[in-house]
Amino acid sequence: MKGFARRRGVYVATLDRTERTILSRVVADTALLLGVRLDVERPEGDADPLAAHAWSAEGLEEPSDPALARLLPSASEDDGVAAEFRRLTEGDLRAQKVERLRMVWGALLAPGEKIEVQPERAMDWAAALTDVRLVLAERLDIQTDEDAEAVYKAANRRRAEDDDVRAALGSLYMVLTWLQESLMSVMLKSL
Amino acid sequence: MSTASPDVEQQEETDVVVDAARPWVTIVWNDPVNLMSYVSYVFQSYFGYDERKANQLMMQVHHEGRSAVSSGSREKMEIDVQAMHSFGLWATMQQDDQ
Repeated sequence: MKGFARRRGVYVATLDRTERTILSRVVADTALLLGVRLDVERPEGDADPLAAHAWSAEGLEEPSDPALARLLPSASEDDGVAAEFRRLTEGDLRAQKVERLRMVWGALLAPGEKIEVQPERAMDWAAALTDVRLVLAERLDIQTDEDAEAVYKAANRRRAEDDDVRAALGSLYMVLTWLQESLMSVMLKSL
Repeated sequence: MSTASPDVEQQEETDVVVDAARPWVTIVWNDPVNLMSYVSYVFQSYFGYDERKANQLMMQVHHEGRSAVSSGSREKMEIDVQAMHSFGLWATMQQDDQ
C-alpha cells in the first residue's frame, strides 16, 4: 500500500487487491449501518431504503447503536432542539454519507491497483474515511487518545493470545488512519 | 484528537431559555478519532478561516475539549452543525452564554 501523493493534479494511492477487498467490506458495513446495502442493486420500482429516514413529521430519536449515534449525533443538549434538528436533517445526512461511501466502495472494487481521486472529490473521500474510522473506533471502544495509542501498539505487536477480531479491526483502523493522513497531507498543500 | 472525550455533563442546564437577542453558537467537541489535519482542513475550507485561525480553533478543541467555531442566527447554526456532522465532527448548537 502506498499513501496518497499528488501526480499531475490528481491524488493517487496504491492498494493491492487484498487491501481493496478488506477496505471495501468495512466501507460497505458502514453504509449498511446507515441503512443501505451497497452490494445489491436495488430493483427499479423498489422503495428507497432511506425513505423511511427522510424528512418526517414524527420525531426521530438518537440511534441506540453508539456507532450510528456517532455518525448521526445529537445537535443539542436541549432535547427539543436536538429532536427538531434530527427531524429536519437526519435523512439528508444519511443519504449524503451513503453516497460518499458508495463512491469510495466503487473505486476500491474497480480494476487495477491505483486509486485516483480528483481534487474536487477529495473532501468526500476524507469524510467517508472519517465515517468508517468513527464506526471502527466505536467498535474498538476508543474513547481517548491513549485508547487509540494502545490499539496502534497492539496492531504492531500481535501476539498469539490476542483476540483475532479485535486485532484485525485495530489493524484496519490503523491503516485507514494512515491513508487518511496521507490524503490530508496532499489536500492541505493544495488549499 | 486529544485525551479527554467531551464532558457533556458539565454543559447541562446552561441555556434552554430562548432569548432572541442572544446569538447561537456552533460548538465542536473533541474526540480521539478525528485527525488534527482534517479538523484544520474542515475549518479552513468550510468556514473560510485562514490557516492560523483554523489551527487556533483546532488546538482549542484539542486542549480544552471544545471550541465555539461560529455564531449567528439559529438557522445559520443549524446549517453549520449539519455540515460538521456531515464531515464527521462532533458538533452541537446552543445559545451563547454571554
